[in-house]
Amino acid sequence: MASVAELKEKHAAATASVNSLRERLRQRRETLLDTDGEASLSSPLLVGDPLSWGSGNSRAFADCSVCVRLRGAVARYSKSQGRAPVSFNPTDLVCCRTLQGHSGKVYSLDWTPEKNWIVSASQDGRLIVWNALTSQKTHAIKLHCPWVMTCALAPNGQSVACGGLDSACSIFNLNSQADRDGNMPVSRILTGHKGYVSSCQYVPDQETRLITSSGDQTCVLWDVTTGQRISIFGGEFPSGHTADVQSVSINSSNTNMFVSGSCDTTVRLWDIRIASRAVRTYHGHEGDVNSVKFFPDGHRFGTGSDDGTCRLFDMRTGHQLQVYSREPDRNDNELPTVTSIAFSISGRLLFAGYSNGDCYVWDTLLAEVVLNLGNLQNSHDGRISCLGMSSDGSALCTGSWDKNLKIWAFSGTRKIV
Amino acid sequence: MAAGASARDYSFAAEYDGPPLPYSLPRAIPLDLSRIPLAALSSSPPASPSASSSPLPVVRPLTPSSLCSAIHAHAHPAPRSAAPAPAAGGAVVDSPTSVIENHHAAAHHSAELPSSPSDDEGAGGGPEALPLKPRHHQPAVTFAETSGSLLQSSDDEDEYEEEEDEDADAGEARPRAAAGQSSGSLSPAHWRGGRTRGCYRCGKGGGFWGRDKESCLACGARYCVGCVLRAMGSMPEGRKCLECIGRPVAESRRGALGRGSRVLRRLLSAAEVELVMRSERECAANQLRAEDVYVNGTKLSPEELVVLQGCPCPPSRLRPGFYWYDKVSGFWGKEGHKPHCIITANLNVGGSLDQKASNGNTGILINGREITKSELQMLKLAGVQCAGKPHFWVNADGTYQEEGQKTVKGKIWDKPIVKLLSPVLSLPTPNKAANQSGEDAVNIVNRVIPDYLEQRTTQKLLLVGSGASTIIKQAKFLYKSGKPFSVDEREDLKLIIQSNIYNYLGILLEGRERFEEESLADRRKISPSDPSSSGCCESGVCDEVTEYSLIPRLKAFSDWILKAMALGNLEDIFPAASREYAPLVEELWKDPAIQATYRRRSELPFLPPTANYFLDKAVDISRAEYELSDMDILYADGITSSDGYQLIRINSRGLHENCKWLQMFDDVRLVIFCVAASDYDEYYEDANGTIVNKMVESRQLFESIVLHPTFEQMDFLLLLTKSDLLEQKINDSPLTSCDWFDDFTPLISRNLLSSSSKSTRSSTGATLPQMAAHYMATKFKRLFQLLTDRKLYVSYVNTLDQESVRLAIHYGREIVKWEEEKPVFGASETVYSEEPSSFTH
Repeated sequence: MASVAELKEKHAAATASVNSLRERLRQRRETLLDTDGEASLSSPLLVGDPLSWGSGNSRAFADCSVCVRLRGAVARYSKSQGRAPVSFNPTDLVCCRTLQGHSGKVYSLDWTPEKNWIVSASQDGRLIVWNALTSQKTHAIKLHCPWVMTCALAPNGQSVACGGLDSACSIFNLNSQADRDGNMPVSRILTGHKGYVSSCQYVPDQETRLITSSGDQTCVLWDVTTGQRISIFGGEFPSGHTADVQSVSINSSNTNMFVSGSCDTTVRLWDIRIASRAVRTYHGHEGDVNSVKFFPDGHRFGTGSDDGTCRLFDMRTGHQLQVYSREPDRNDNELPTVTSIAFSISGRLLFAGYSNGDCYVWDTLLAEVVLNLGNLQNSHDGRISCLGMSSDGSALCTGSWDKNLKIWAFSGTRKIV
Repeated sequence: MAAGASARDYSFAAEYDGPPLPYSLPRAIPLDLSRIPLAALSSSPPASPSASSSPLPVVRPLTPSSLCSAIHAHAHPAPRSAAPAPAAGGAVVDSPTSVIENHHAAAHHSAELPSSPSDDEGAGGGPEALPLKPRHHQPAVTFAETSGSLLQSSDDEDEYEEEEDEDADAGEARPRAAAGQSSGSLSPAHWRGGRTRGCYRCGKGGGFWGRDKESCLACGARYCVGCVLRAMGSMPEGRKCLECIGRPVAESRRGALGRGSRVLRRLLSAAEVELVMRSERECAANQLRAEDVYVNGTKLSPEELVVLQGCPCPPSRLRPGFYWYDKVSGFWGKEGHKPHCIITANLNVGGSLDQKASNGNTGILINGREITKSELQMLKLAGVQCAGKPHFWVNADGTYQEEGQKTVKGKIWDKPIVKLLSPVLSLPTPNKAANQSGEDAVNIVNRVIPDYLEQRTTQKLLLVGSGASTIIKQAKFLYKSGKPFSVDEREDLKLIIQSNIYNYLGILLEGRERFEEESLADRRKISPSDPSSSGCCESGVCDEVTEYSLIPRLKAFSDWILKAMALGNLEDIFPAASREYAPLVEELWKDPAIQATYRRRSELPFLPPTANYFLDKAVDISRAEYELSDMDILYADGITSSDGYQLIRINSRGLHENCKWLQMFDDVRLVIFCVAASDYDEYYEDANGTIVNKMVESRQLFESIVLHPTFEQMDFLLLLTKSDLLEQKINDSPLTSCDWFDDFTPLISRNLLSSSSKSTRSSTGATLPQMAAHYMATKFKRLFQLLTDRKLYVSYVNTLDQESVRLAIHYGREIVKWEEEKPVFGASETVYSEEPSSFTH
């Protein structure tokens, strides 16, 4: 059949034109960037060596150069505006509480918006709800499946959700009476995912809505009261993720928008009302995206990845604003991966937990390391697996594979920068 | 003795088979009071020479506290005096043991026991005395049982020892009884407090007010600052002197439990004091003993005490003593007194409430208890009509109604004045947290959660690969004795099995249709050539009926099942509808057509091998009330743990390269990788439509797991499963059918091969399947060596054989142990490099 050959030809031509258009779009975007184009590689602000990012192909180089130029630009702009880098003394951030009680690796934590409660999930198969102020446990919930990966507290602090290798998201009502053995009854199980549940978050202004991400490449919006899936993001649709979704973050200023980070190295922006396609896809990372978090203003979001970098993206333009990459260790060529990130309430600081137990505090504007919590006194012994900022911004909680959670607070006296 | 045979039905000796009951038996003697005058007899028998020589304190029984021993001492001379009686002689001098052994005699005596309760007077003489002796031996026997060594001693010693025993018993019983009466043993026997103000150890006089002293919680001994630590040591149970450790706390000091003192704080650091106080509060010896607490006249059991203390609103400052508890309203008070507080209602503790529990005399009853005057006043204040001495029911929420009437008349606590005045009349008001469900949250928050939750260190073994689920199930049987599967798990498995059985049945029905058509076609082929047969089957019916035909009703059912199967909604219909269709399924299964099809099951390619097992039991399974047997579970498709070892199975379906969540298992000690040895000639179609050999796929999975960064330094154990299937098929299907095994060249001598395929043996004596399995193991070992430069442990199992699985898991544990001990032995790698093999056949 001649028509088949014709169709194939047409298809090839179309693909080629799409690719060239994409390339032009990328170039156009670059020219539109608000840069002065003078950022040079010799800039003193240049921290990372592009070569250390591994893959030697030209595409990676191109990306890197863009990043470098951009970083220079944001940093230059900040300097020109009289921004001095944030400087912390090692004693300015202190570990003021250590929450001990888990007997397995801590995998996830979450704060309540109002009460200073923290829920943590650990591989010992328990969720513990802590009073962060007194460091006392208020609830200990034994889970049916001990391989829990994520947990979340409802906005009203009345229930917790958790999920893991059981491919389901379990909801516990904190007000329900525990039975004789101290086991809490599960108030609802959200089933439907075909892979592990990697992350879950309640929609901030709606107690009954929950978004989960899963190893089945989808994200799902749930109605907690009925246990029904309201919409599924990705999966069969071509604009969905093509690998396990690792993390979600909901925009706090517009709760209809959320971003998801995936093992396909991309981040996608979704509108809850339009499940059929991703609003935007953000490229840039060269490794699995482990963590995404919205910037407090809701117009940007940060990411942490297996490539050892954190990045800051502009949600609306899709541009990558900043790269936070650490220098490779002298003795080890392998960069530690970023496991989790959190922003300070002002957005000026970015906290990033690394797989080697470091926890860097980055100056978001200047992309400089302010402090490493991993080197401080009584820091964690193991990998930092999760980070969480309290809603009033007064404290940071870190969870680690050394079975402990620690709460860090600012102890110095300082003018607001 | 002839009578003995007839009375065997009453065999008294049978009672000795049970566990010894040292206390109940002395009490069982029914004649105590009538015996007391007889005790006087005991002063006369000294005439008997043997008794006078014995050191028995005969007078002692007269004290009422040891009535039992009275009878005993009285009894003692009886056998002595009876000894000369020739007929009974053997039995009489018998030691208690021989009585036990001589069931026949015992039966005889006991049989007569009830008929001659007053035979005692004739104790001196002849065969009539017979019934007496065993009865008096009766306590002797039981006591001898409690202290086994006595059985060997002589009669005299026996009795003597027993008496001491009994004395001790009586001694114990007395304070216990006293404790009951005086509402608690405030000062135990060893109480030493209050005598002197000086230090009990160094004797120095007390300081000002004697305050610089710490006293023992159990005995009250006081020690000065200098001596406290020496007298109390490390205080494992809190402030108790060394000799008091293990003794209960004096009730008067219970309030001081867990309250640190100045003295301690001076001596120890804050953290240490905290530790001591915690152990003081929490150690078992310092807890309230359940048997000291009586509720509604019944002694509490430990479980009841836990219920009582663990309820949301427990009685405050519970001490030994007698209490009454109104289960309906939750009122709680001391026996003979008005209510003291209101605790959680409907707790199942103690006996039933007595009308006179609070010693009221008003004639008005609340929940069957006559109330006191102050309560009546309160009722009147609350506006309750109390004329005519009504009987009320009061519920936990304060609503009350008259006995025998349905209408709720009101709520006692509605009027604020009641709550205001209650304290004045020292009557309780309900605790808010207890009875109002809305404030449960507060209540939960106040619940104490232990600082450290169950920190058992378990060695984790990770189970991956095909056949892993069966191993897990076997392990559950092996190590979770009693209840290997929870109710939910069983229910799930049951559903799976039931829906599978319908699937299998559907396959059979399809096969039946095919066979029917085939045989009809065959017949048609034959019939034209055979006119005689066509002639006799004129009606045409006979022509249609074959071995595989169903009667119309079943045909309709089978058509329906096939239709459901074609539509793919068999699972939706079936397990749910199994109750309705169970009889039909049974009929269908028993139908000769289905049975005929089943006999040809080897021609049905889609019928899995395990189907045989289930189809054989199809009738049972399709019933709704079907209960799984353990074997069913093994055949159908978690985590199991045993003393310190935890077996974790991960589903190999979700595994791919650099799988993120494998990081979770970085603390496992050993990865057990299961490979079905029979996979070498099996294929499956992957997502892209390419045919992949299952063994090659297993190899890829093995590689990706071995190379996973999380398992970099992990030990691996390869389990070659399904060796039974391998044995069955190895002779028909050569191992070389798998690309990976194309260089398998077993050395089989030809003559053996030709003689019998079953016992094919190589020149080395190994059978072909053994060689094949060994070859596979070697292949995997080489691969592992190539990838990691380490050794791979290998074992062979038949997962359906429990013993074989047990050995395999045991082997895994051994590996973990070896690895632990490795550093101890240094780098002597040779110790562990021996060829591991636990081939069991």
